[in-house]
Amino acid sequence: MPHFVPRFLRLTATLLVALTSVAEAAEQNDLASLLRIQAEVQKRLPQVRPSLVAIQTGGGTASGVIISSTGLILTAAHVVDKPGRDIRVVLDDGSVTTAKSLGLDQATDAALAQLKDRGKPWPSVNLSREVVKAQPGEWCFALGHPGGFDKARGAVLRVGKIVKQTANSLHTDCVLMGGDSGGPLFNLAGEVIGIHSQIWENRDQNVHVSMAPFLRSWEAMQASQVIKTWGVGAGGYLGVATRMSDAVELEVADVIDGSPAQKAGVRVGDVILGVNSDAMTDQQQFTATIKTKAAGDLVTLLLRTDGKERKVPVTLAQRPREGE
Amino acid sequence: MTKDEFRMTKEISMPNAQTSPRASRWLLSAFAILHSSFSLLAESPRPTLPPEQRTNGKQTLVAVGKVAQPVLACSARIESLLGRPVCAATIVGIDGYILTKASEAPDLEKVRLKLTEGRTAELREIHRDVRFDLVLAQAVGLSKLRAANFGATRSLSHGQWLCSSSGASREPRIGIISANHRQIPGNGAALGIRMDEKAPKEAQGVRIIGIATDSPAEAAGLQAEDVILSIADEPVAQFKRVHEIVNKRQPGEYVEVRYLREGKEESCRVRLASRTKVIQNWEGEDFANGGISLRTDGFPDALQHDIPLAPSDMGGPLATLDGKIVGINIARVDRVTTFALPVESFWTEIQQWINADRHPPKAQAAE
Repeated sequence: MPHFVPRFLRLTATLLVALTSVAEAAEQNDLASLLRIQAEVQKRLPQVRPSLVAIQTGGGTASGVIISSTGLILTAAHVVDKPGRDIRVVLDDGSVTTAKSLGLDQATDAALAQLKDRGKPWPSVNLSREVVKAQPGEWCFALGHPGGFDKARGAVLRVGKIVKQTANSLHTDCVLMGGDSGGPLFNLAGEVIGIHSQIWENRDQNVHVSMAPFLRSWEAMQASQVIKTWGVGAGGYLGVATRMSDAVELEVADVIDGSPAQKAGVRVGDVILGVNSDAMTDQQQFTATIKTKAAGDLVTLLLRTDGKERKVPVTLAQRPREGE
Repeated sequence: MTKDEFRMTKEISMPNAQTSPRASRWLLSAFAILHSSFSLLAESPRPTLPPEQRTNGKQTLVAVGKVAQPVLACSARIESLLGRPVCAATIVGIDGYILTKASEAPDLEKVRLKLTEGRTAELREIHRDVRFDLVLAQAVGLSKLRAANFGATRSLSHGQWLCSSSGASREPRIGIISANHRQIPGNGAALGIRMDEKAPKEAQGVRIIGIATDSPAEAAGLQAEDVILSIADEPVAQFKRVHEIVNKRQPGEYVEVRYLREGKEESCRVRLASRTKVIQNWEGEDFANGGISLRTDGFPDALQHDIPLAPSDMGGPLATLDGKIVGINIARVDRVTTFALPVESFWTEIQQWINADRHPPKAQAAE
């Protein structure tokens, strides 16, 4: 019985997503919307392009993106290979500098590197913290240095759609090739939503690391740790099932025996108002928020029990395996 | 999960540093697919965008249906006399003048033009231009065709939508200007062989010690340990001589190669390709590219775009979404790159050739 409930949650989220993407498809079929996409990409491109870098590791050439003025780079784990490695970095204008690789997550292909201090801020972009928003059908654009840095050619842009989202990756029809690895995938707000990771035979099969593994393992990666596995399933385990109440509030429908939620005193009928500082309004958002947290993370639930608000700290656990 | 997801590409590997100093390892590998570790998620399939809703899916392309009409009307196909597709063509004169990719159609007597509605016509070659890799021809007996309506490329910038047609059924395809407008330097032609630099003691020929992946040599069936005796009837005794002979030719040209295999003399016809791509793809670094053109470089001016096209779509028109033809697709280069010649680079010159052909100088009476 305990295992039925979490699976049900996932199914609900899936259905919601499917309905949304069908509705969106209808409005994208006119020329005006294609031209709107073009205008948005062309507006964002000059803003984000200076933060794209080419990475030369000695073993090959790849890409990356600067996401802080202090020079933190997101790239792919198979690009840097291990922590503490010196890498050569070529900026968009062709100037050359160096960086050191920090930690990486080999299971998901996420990695961080740190540019050396240059005495002034680095050009940077923001990353999207709302991983769940990158849904199938959304337009996006990719930048990178396919085949390596080429000054005359410059960065190579691709515009396409998200084809699929998984726990740790996004699939798009922005066509990638060797040298793009580690480069950024952007949403139309100019935020990084993916890091180019791998390709399959078909042109619609281009795989990017989503922001989920980066957000989940941020501190470990900054501390130059190598993450080889990260527990079972998708992120941390709380142990509650939710439903939307008659008042259209997010309500606890079931609490699994022995789960972190039960140990922390979460009860059936509690209304979930927030997780940490984020307000929660629906099941999909709640599931996604918990999924971005790792086992061992402390989250604070804001609940309303019998009309009174209370804060409940819960330390997430490993998701129980089938049959346990 | 769909079956497609298990179809993995081969892994990249280090190119041979000796033969390919320019090639570097491109990082974007296909390793063990990440999904296999998420057993808990396997039962609930994730929503996948149906193919018809993707960037080049039917539903998205509804938006360009009307604007694609002028593009489709001035595009035609070149096919062999048996109906095998060769490449695409752009109609540039209502009286049957067309342009196509010269290196894909080396002999116009062996091919014919096929219009969208199905009519075919023989081609009369008028002018072959190596710099642009274009050949101007006239379709014999055709008139009142829809010719390309050329527009300027100066205002095009990164991210601008473009449209071309693909395949025998000439379906529209969209993509964007993806990189800087620039000159593409040429680096000559290549066979795709690595040779023994020492002249053999037996004093005959040049020994092959390696063959590049997907190269002209591989396609023609040449193998390591074959000893090349002559290329295009010129005897070779040193590897430098092979370079000299090959380098003065163009990608797309055929050369006859005579060679010794296990003591027996044999010969084959090799169709040369651009040296740059042969070297960069020495060990298949540019995998899953869907095929590339034989000639991919040496263009005085090129637009780069990301429309998903095939090598056999080269020679066809490239248009903006307001229906103006801004160029001719000239090379499928790799998985992400297509080059197009911008109209300004060739059109003035081509018009002169068309005019000269329409109004030939009157024959001078012999004195």
